[in-house]
Amino acid sequence: MNHKRILSLLLCFFLLCAGAAFAESETATESAPPAESASPAGSASPAGGITSIDELAGGTVGVQTGMICDTLTQQRVPNVKINYYNSQTDALIALQNGKVDGWCCDEPVARYMTLSHSDLVILDEKMADSELAAVFPKTDEGQKLRDQYSAFVDELWKDGTMKEIDALWFSTDEDKRTVFDYTALPDTNGTLQMAVDSTIPPFAFIKDGRVVGYDVDIAARFCQANGYRLEITQMTFDSVLAAVQTGKADFADSCITITDERKESMLFSSANYHGGIVMAVMKTRGGTAAVQEDTSFLGSIAASFEKTFIREDRWKLFTDGLLTTLLITVLSILCGTVLGFLVFMLCRNGNVIANAITRFCMWLVQGMPMVVLLMVLYYIVFGSVSISGIAVAVIGFTLTFGSSVFSLLRMGVGTIDQGQYEASYALGYSNRRTFFRIILPQAIPHILPAYKSEIVSLIKATAIVGYIAVQDLTKMGDIVRSRTYEAFFPLIAITVIYFLLEGLLILLINRILIRTNPRRRKKKSLLKGVNRHDPD
Amino acid sequence: MIRIEHLKKVYQNATPLKDVTVDINDGDVIAVIGPSGTGKSTLLRCINMLEKPTEGHIWIDGTEVTDPACDLDKVRQKMGMVFQSFNLFSHLSVIENIMLAPVDLLGKSRQEAYDEGMRLLQMVGLADKELNYPDELSGGQKQRIAIARTLAMDPGVILFDEPTSALDPTMVGEVQAVIRELAKTGKTLIIVTHEMRFARDISNRVFFMDEGGICEDGSPEQIFDNPQNEKTRRFIHRLKVLELSIGNKKYDFPGATGEIDRYCSKNHIPWKTASRIHLAFEELVHIQLIRVLKDPQIHTVIEFSEADMEAVMTVSYNGPQFDITAKGEVLSMRVLKSIESNMAYTWNKDAEYPNQVQIHIREE
Repeated sequence: MNHKRILSLLLCFFLLCAGAAFAESETATESAPPAESASPAGSASPAGGITSIDELAGGTVGVQTGMICDTLTQQRVPNVKINYYNSQTDALIALQNGKVDGWCCDEPVARYMTLSHSDLVILDEKMADSELAAVFPKTDEGQKLRDQYSAFVDELWKDGTMKEIDALWFSTDEDKRTVFDYTALPDTNGTLQMAVDSTIPPFAFIKDGRVVGYDVDIAARFCQANGYRLEITQMTFDSVLAAVQTGKADFADSCITITDERKESMLFSSANYHGGIVMAVMKTRGGTAAVQEDTSFLGSIAASFEKTFIREDRWKLFTDGLLTTLLITVLSILCGTVLGFLVFMLCRNGNVIANAITRFCMWLVQGMPMVVLLMVLYYIVFGSVSISGIAVAVIGFTLTFGSSVFSLLRMGVGTIDQGQYEASYALGYSNRRTFFRIILPQAIPHILPAYKSEIVSLIKATAIVGYIAVQDLTKMGDIVRSRTYEAFFPLIAITVIYFLLEGLLILLINRILIRTNPRRRKKKSLLKGVNRHDPD
Repeated sequence: MIRIEHLKKVYQNATPLKDVTVDINDGDVIAVIGPSGTGKSTLLRCINMLEKPTEGHIWIDGTEVTDPACDLDKVRQKMGMVFQSFNLFSHLSVIENIMLAPVDLLGKSRQEAYDEGMRLLQMVGLADKELNYPDELSGGQKQRIAIARTLAMDPGVILFDEPTSALDPTMVGEVQAVIRELAKTGKTLIIVTHEMRFARDISNRVFFMDEGGICEDGSPEQIFDNPQNEKTRRFIHRLKVLELSIGNKKYDFPGATGEIDRYCSKNHIPWKTASRIHLAFEELVHIQLIRVLKDPQIHTVIEFSEADMEAVMTVSYNGPQFDITAKGEVLSMRVLKSIESNMAYTWNKDAEYPNQVQIHIREE
């Protein structure tokens, strides 16, 4: 009895706590940092907040993957723990949520963020001086283009245009921040492929469905002055550098810091921004939130919705991403199924060579993480070929899906009793016809349920194609998040869309399942075209 | 006509067929009998090449099917097979099972195949099951459908591989009835079976197979009533045999008794019969022959027939002519008289053991 009472008391206590936490999180949806206890550092600093880098000792600092900030932070701050984030937006959100105590990033990024986040402070001490520049591949053409670009940048510094550009992109006036329509430039001297990470405002970001920003502005002006057409490919930051190294892009620029290590593998133009690496922290910890227009729960939801979907027609990004995801998924399912089936037919009769090759390929494909496989295909196998990321994604997923289909077929056909083969042979069916007329129709109902779950995993797996510069649904969500600085709404939206997509495909497969299952046919249709000599 | 010459099949760890040579004429109805594991099914499966023979040749109507260039599919279309486990196509309804091959392989129209299929279903008595699926049928019904499916190809030869072995005893009759009807149609049937009465009734020729070969090939009357081969005889009467040899006066009597004990319990010989076998051995061999013979060489064979639950003990011994039934020790002979239903002495001076006495143990 006593135990039960204690247990129920504990339960009530937990429920109350959970309720309180939920109430708190409601008010925190906009940008308020949570209570002090949420800080992983557990630092002794009072509500006043951090004022110098030294206070971060033993704390946690968020950085973006692929930047040099992590090394700098580790050198400067003793006992620091580094949290890596895929984008600066994620790092900033982590800072706001108190998941990290500091955010180490490029000075311009932090500077830009202070424009919209009044509670964000840049600490005075610079971690390092650094310069940003465009990068070019280490080839003869790259060299030529680099020299041309450097001359152009030097000119911009000299005539003061660079100051104007700086003022333009670091202003709070949204209307001014725009680039002329660079897609319409004439390709007098050819087309230049530029790789950017479009999640780094103000250097490169998406506005009204277009990639714009400080770096894009300079690149567009350069192309205009030198008679190039400009084509921009968006990808993650680490892919940007890889794309230049492998020659996938003619050049790249999205807040790229000049380092000695990078100089070994690519060429830098003259610096187009003199920045540095700084540490940003929150003004107050657990203090008041920024000023909000509408603090009610429903109001904030409506505002988030407006920001995520309506403003700048952002829903178009989602539909574009959805179409890309759908295209990759459907093509991969079709090609993968055909591939798996053809390979199975080759291996079916125990051909030693075909089986050995298949086993090796399956070992290779299934043993590799999907991301690695895609990157290997994109940057190494098709490194020197001009091929769209979507095609590479389809090839990659066709390979993995094909190997799944192969395994499924082998499993499904293996469940069919040997007697079925013998009965068929004894009637005079050839090996091939036995397979198609007797074995396969019985195997398919065994295979389809597993096939269904393979399709669901395939849809989910396509979320990583952002690594090879494909703007799928997940990537579009990232892009929107980088503009709205909100984690909640875009992520929920993507989740819902993925669920809908999966549901739709499952529905389709279920239809096929019913159709292909011979046992579910209607009795009347069994003897189509036969006169049964009786009235019913 | 099927001709089989020096057929041999070797597996990694068994040789089910050692050397089979036989001719099968058109219209023969052949029952293949014999103990388990003696290559009966293997022989059948070699005939339609479901098993590839290791050595030897098979001709079917002049076509050598063991020739790698032979178009097996064509030959198999003219030679049906009925399996122990039915092997109906589980994804198709009964009528589709029957229609499938004639439409696919013989180019019949669906209507033709359907009409023929319904005729065959009528014949096997299952016309009302045309739209059922195989797993909705009983074992006997499945096997009858399998026979109808085979007949739909109108084969000249039908191979039956233990067609009733997987069936509930209550369903054996319905399948046998269908096969009986078939035997009258003039098709060549080769039936591997363990049902002796069925084999005898239906066939005009019986193969007794043992140890990888055809031991005896003859009419059912010969095989079942007057088998020429000792192995055939033992199999037909379902004889369980124990042989004991004694070579000197100091033989191990308790050991021999133990062996008889094991033999009796292993073959489920009724307790009463078993104790009479013990008694007969003791009175005849241990008490009399061992003492009387100077240098005893005694060979004892005990046979128990599961078919008629009868035990027979045959004792052969050396030495000069000695009719133990007449000159035996009185008391022992009286005991023996009480347990035998028939006792006879024979003398054959050329045999290894010229004296022989045979005792039929009385059942009641």
